[in-house]
Amino acid sequence: MIASSIRWPLVQGEKSYSDISNELTAPNETKPALWWYIGMSLGTIMLAFGGWAFYQSLTIGLGTWGLTNSVGWGWDIINFVWWIGIGHAGTAFTIFFLVFRQKWAASINRAAEAMTVFAVMCAALFPLLHMGRPWLAFFIMPYPNTRLLWVNFNSPLLWDVFAISTYLLMSITLWYFGMIPDLATMRDRATNKISKAIYGFFSMGWDGSMISYNRYESLTRLLGGLAAPLVISVHTIVALDFSISVLPGWHATILPPYFFVGAIFSGFAMVLTIMILMRSAFKIKDFITDKHLDSIAKVLKYGSLVIGLAYLIEVFIAWYSGVEYEMYTFLRARMTGSFSTAFWIMVVCNAIIPQVFWFKKARRNIWTLFAVSIMINIGMWFERYVILISSLAEDFLPSSWTHYSPTIVDIGVFVGTFGIFICGMLLFIRHIPIIAINEIKAYKKHGN
Amino acid sequence: MAYKHIIATFKDENVLLKALTRLQENKVNLVDIYGPFANHDILKKFTKESRLPYMAVLYGLISMVSIFALMYYTSVIDYPISYGGKPIFSFPPMVVIMFLVTILGTTILSVLTFHGRAFIFPGKPAKIIDPKVTDDTFYLVVDQNYNPDEIKVWLKESGADEIMEKELNT
Repeated sequence: MIASSIRWPLVQGEKSYSDISNELTAPNETKPALWWYIGMSLGTIMLAFGGWAFYQSLTIGLGTWGLTNSVGWGWDIINFVWWIGIGHAGTAFTIFFLVFRQKWAASINRAAEAMTVFAVMCAALFPLLHMGRPWLAFFIMPYPNTRLLWVNFNSPLLWDVFAISTYLLMSITLWYFGMIPDLATMRDRATNKISKAIYGFFSMGWDGSMISYNRYESLTRLLGGLAAPLVISVHTIVALDFSISVLPGWHATILPPYFFVGAIFSGFAMVLTIMILMRSAFKIKDFITDKHLDSIAKVLKYGSLVIGLAYLIEVFIAWYSGVEYEMYTFLRARMTGSFSTAFWIMVVCNAIIPQVFWFKKARRNIWTLFAVSIMINIGMWFERYVILISSLAEDFLPSSWTHYSPTIVDIGVFVGTFGIFICGMLLFIRHIPIIAINEIKAYKKHGN
Repeated sequence: MAYKHIIATFKDENVLLKALTRLQENKVNLVDIYGPFANHDILKKFTKESRLPYMAVLYGLISMVSIFALMYYTSVIDYPISYGGKPIFSFPPMVVIMFLVTILGTTILSVLTFHGRAFIFPGKPAKIIDPKVTDDTFYLVVDQNYNPDEIKVWLKESGADEIMEKELNT
């Protein structure tokens, strides 16, 4: 054991490398518990509902959504931004682990990356679907065509296309490459021919050679380094979709950093939710220790402070500007008007409740951690709702004000994305080691 | 004639490191070391620095220049459209796409380079030294065996768990 006065043990208990392999492959090698089947059934039902909503949107059209002339972006874009925000945590953990050499992230990295992949897939569905004719989605790619048209490279909407595509590819690459040695472990432990063949295919003939490991470590560190600015840029670009417009409440320079911090905040909250569930379900508290959850709670505490500050800055600048439209949006419509319920839910859930994490007792209480993480995600959904709908529904001209409510199809598409996420995560848990086995073995001896 | 290598097994990477140091001091050439995880001290001692990051810089530059060329050609030469009176050639918005495509191009080309250089790809048959290599055991494979007895002594003194002579099928 490498004794350290500043590093808490990353793996608890006296475990050999073989014990680590056995414990971390157990969820994949044993029959799943009843809760897994219940989860998959629920996920499948949600997926079916989403499938119906998708079908309605494609065949009948976007008239089935609750969008109006003024509120051209509704639940579709709220949910897009929400899912993209959640998807930031996985890459953030990978960056902590690979770039900042935070070894404690080793046990969370894999599941967080899986969460990112599925969240970004869910997010990408919304811009595709909201085009109205998603079968013409290839129009947004710059290629020589018979229409003799090129795309507008000046538009953040196009930057979003490149950003989301690059982010999805990067997330999948980081996630998959990170698991190659573990897939090799699964291949060598597999007892039936089909499992051996499938794990063998995806493990790319990995033989544990240090020469290959050298190149592999170099590649993963490189990808981690590339992912760092990408993570910052993706949500910044999503914020710029709003910032570059002229609407009161949107046209503000604070949006890019505000969205980025909000994304990390909601992503970490979702990771906390998933880690709490997983460590209880698979009895892996020796790998995802109380200290890991404590560290995530601390990040949430600081994130909450920044978000709270951003809310104050927005309101202050709206008042300080003297622009009556900005003052109306922030001081009337959001704080006391039609959107006040959503606004105060947002403020309480994001800026106030997470402050309990200043207390160690709260950071070490599983129920508090779980409840606050759920509330943060609810709060972040309402934040996107407030930003989008309040500025669209009540903008410059009162005669064009409308009010927005989602239809069953809007709700269906959102529920469908939850189905994708739940089914995806459950399949991941079932077939792939949820914790990076080779990394845990490498860092097993760190700590005191 | 089949060539037999000396293979030493280790359960502890620190013991392996001692053995590696001993063999390197005595200028013994090794085929490879196989193990369940990468230990940075072993990688530093045994392998050379990978040139992949240098290639990544090159790929990034190529990607950046290519996408700039595409944007310049499409927006300035082929079909210049005035969007709200903004300049036809405006570099700042191009920076965003250049940044993203640089990352995209570097990622794709670096991954392909890794596949080509390490010669691993989906579906490649695995030729592993032993199933325990992905579990809990390190295998050190010696290249030449012109003085096998001496090498075995050094390995034994360094703390190897097991020493064997075997043909390698990797």
